[in-house]
Amino acid sequence: MIGSVKYYLCSLLILFSINCNAKENSKIAKIYGGTYTPLYGKKLSDVTVKDFYIDIYPVSNKQYLEFVKKYPEWKKSKVIELFADDNYLSMWIDDETIPKNISPDAPVVDISWYAAKAYCECQDMRLSTVDEWEYVARADETDIDATKDRLYTERIIKSYETPRTYTHNIGSTYRNYWGVFDMHGLVWEWTLDFNSIMISGENRSNNDLDRNLFCAAGSIGASDLMNYAAFMRYAFRGSLKANFCIRNLGFRCAKDIEKN
Amino acid sequence: MKCYELKKSFIYLIVFINTLLIFTNSIFSTTGKYNSYDWKTKKSTGEIKAILTRPPYVPPSVGNSLAAKLIVDMEVIELEGELTEGVRYIYWTFGGTVPGSFIRTRVGDEVEFHLKNHPENKLPHNIDLHAVTGPGGGATSSFVAPGHKTVFSFKTLNPGLYVYHCATAPVGMHIANGMYGLIFVEPIGGIPKVDREYYVMQGDFYTKGEYGQQGLQPFDMKKAVNEMADYVVFNGKVGALTGDNALTANVGETIRLFVGNGGPNLVSSFHVIGEIFDRVNIEGGTAINENVQTTLIPAGGAAIIEFKVEVPGTFILVDHSIFRAFNKGALGMLKVKGNENKAIYSGKLQEGIYLPEGSTIQVMPDENIPPEVASTKSERILTGKHIYNRTCLACHQLNGSGMSNVFPPLANSDYLNKDVARAIEIILKGKSGEITVNGKKYSSVMPSQLLSDEDIANVLTYIYNSWDNNKTYVTPKMVKRIREKL
Amino acid sequence: MTKPTQYILLLILILINQFSIAEKTPINEMSIFQLPSVWINQNNQSLELKDLQGNVLVVVMIYTSCQAACPKLVAHMKNIYDQVSSKTKKEIKYLLVSIDPDTDTPEHLKEFAKKNNMLSDNWLFLTGSKENIRVFANVMGTKYKKISPLEFSHSNIISIFDDKGVLQYQQEGLHSDNSNTVKKIMELVMP
Repeated sequence: MIGSVKYYLCSLLILFSINCNAKENSKIAKIYGGTYTPLYGKKLSDVTVKDFYIDIYPVSNKQYLEFVKKYPEWKKSKVIELFADDNYLSMWIDDETIPKNISPDAPVVDISWYAAKAYCECQDMRLSTVDEWEYVARADETDIDATKDRLYTERIIKSYETPRTYTHNIGSTYRNYWGVFDMHGLVWEWTLDFNSIMISGENRSNNDLDRNLFCAAGSIGASDLMNYAAFMRYAFRGSLKANFCIRNLGFRCAKDIEKN
Repeated sequence: MKCYELKKSFIYLIVFINTLLIFTNSIFSTTGKYNSYDWKTKKSTGEIKAILTRPPYVPPSVGNSLAAKLIVDMEVIELEGELTEGVRYIYWTFGGTVPGSFIRTRVGDEVEFHLKNHPENKLPHNIDLHAVTGPGGGATSSFVAPGHKTVFSFKTLNPGLYVYHCATAPVGMHIANGMYGLIFVEPIGGIPKVDREYYVMQGDFYTKGEYGQQGLQPFDMKKAVNEMADYVVFNGKVGALTGDNALTANVGETIRLFVGNGGPNLVSSFHVIGEIFDRVNIEGGTAINENVQTTLIPAGGAAIIEFKVEVPGTFILVDHSIFRAFNKGALGMLKVKGNENKAIYSGKLQEGIYLPEGSTIQVMPDENIPPEVASTKSERILTGKHIYNRTCLACHQLNGSGMSNVFPPLANSDYLNKDVARAIEIILKGKSGEITVNGKKYSSVMPSQLLSDEDIANVLTYIYNSWDNNKTYVTPKMVKRIREKL
Repeated sequence: MTKPTQYILLLILILINQFSIAEKTPINEMSIFQLPSVWINQNNQSLELKDLQGNVLVVVMIYTSCQAACPKLVAHMKNIYDQVSSKTKKEIKYLLVSIDPDTDTPEHLKEFAKKNNMLSDNWLFLTGSKENIRVFANVMGTKYKKISPLEFSHSNIISIFDDKGVLQYQQEGLHSDNSNTVKKIMELVMP
């Protein structure tokens, strides 16, 4: 009886980052903030990103399995529909079995935004914002910002087109300037405020936003018309709803830097 | 007497005109009845699942029946395919083909469109149908993430042949990867029956490597933005409508081609070599032009083309911006069987001359990307086959048989087997003047081929080791020696 | 057994009883009452969404300093309210949830309600943490982004939830005559 009470309480709290045991965060990189120009910005002005930590790798199947063992309300048989659609962990055989043909070290996919958010909060972390994610993703192996390098953009686009990259292990793409792996070429990643992206089907009647899906397709108002890789990412984010679980979509966590 | 005769013929004339009037009246009243059918408000009569076809096929006519609720079920699939021999490409498709499945509706249909995005796909997609009256042509309502589906409906108000395409950002890339197709809205009462209908759609492709560069070729954004196409093709790949894939017909039949142009960039000057289009629905609309040689099909536009084939032979479909046909793949075939009609055409096989001398441009290896190097005989044969299919096949044919009286055979060829050095020299220098092969005389001109030593060695090794030839092994060294002597 | 211990035991028993009741009447899986977030209304009272159980909910997300779309959305909400209340006296809650909690304090919301003559008990103006706002917006598929200090771009969606908290209908855009929305509300309050 007491156990069920505890379970009830935990399922209430789980979404909102209270009392989850912090895990050792040895695999995070410190990102030094700065300004950057997002594809769709605050009226084309630069955005300032503060210092923060981010996971070096996306969350793997193995790590996610540990999580659902600890918080069973996120098992595929238990999760409630409001928080995850029918594709949630759809490749997993059952609540605690990753199929043989999927590596435990491959990124976990078919995860909803709510699930990703809960996972991070239970590590005492959070999802990164779109701006933080894009800020880190500009870096190639040697430069903080390689987006003006055509070859870099082309390499990213190629990796976005390549099928079934979600089967590769985390860490299998390159290590960027910040020491972070797999920002491109493995899986798409959830961001905390993905719903700030207006390239979307549902806001078509908005006074000034309905251009986004037509032939001009988001080109109006974009800061860099040649950054096709960014267009692909923003379009992807725009197609999402928070309970969607998608085969090529995983996540990683981030964290504020506490001031002393 | 004369007066009587005149009177008699006059009466005949009156009777004739009267009959004609009654007849036309009845036609008009029938049309009138159809016109008064209020298809804008009338509730659709039944629910039908649309028949979708892969190119080059077209679903059966639906124009004769009453408007209905039509369910269109379409899946977006990202898949790897072949642009030409040995060149692979990741296509994004409506229904697994480029162009996407052909949709046939009639005016007044209520179309309920189910768009599904395959779970393995990496990107969100949507569909903008030019046949739709409404914001974004359906694009706004159909935006769908991988592993999800969306349903929207629209009423077909205007008859005509319309392009549909994906309109997700970056839209040019989605179209360049093959996301386009045709939807035909038949007018009330349908269109006249013809013997054969086909579906042809042009598109331009932009790859990292030049035309023919082997291996998996990624999309090249820069070339696409600069509108420098590497491939201009019908139905998604080089050779989709040639050889065994050619369109077919019999002498005396009337052919209707539903031709679209997906772009993304290039306008098509669509032409069929050796035919005159009897009727063209210009730009897919209602206006009909007759006796057309070449019809312009804009990117994102279409045309309905009808002609009767009077004589047998192979008729070549081209984009008459002719370098695209010869060097970039914009070439298809319509093979017509039947008895010759010497009164219409004397039979000199003139169309042979239009066959591509090099349907490919022969590119020197790029410095950055190492060419595929074959080291063993079997590797040479394999690579050589790709080169043959790109470069030699158009004239010498898939099985090396050539074309009688025009292009000499390479299969079991005495001329070939007798002298390897001569064969190498012909590829390097070209050949003109009469030669005798297997007892028959040939006098066509073969142009020199801009192939590397490696390529020539491979293609010749392939030829010598195919079709009962003498299995000679040609190496780049042998080619080099002869090239130096020239 | 000492008295205090008895009291504590009794308390525990009551608590357990409470929770088992909660477990017996499960909230629908798609219900927004699954969200444990706490909100503040225009009268500075805190509430949870599940306190609204039993009411049909008409929800829109706005911010009060908005010049362009929000006044229209508010007008739509008032129009829906007028149409519905002329047809039924049943309890329906009209929620206006702020996407700008920094500016939209309870006092601010109260002011806004007065200015727009939305004073009956049916009107609820809610504000909460940025996090709770984002989660609630995501349940409704509402998108928004702060584009300058006092300016947001956002989707224009009015959502209808049934008395179990399950999303039943969404009106998108600014050009609707609300008739389908009103029809849907009437279906939900008078099945």
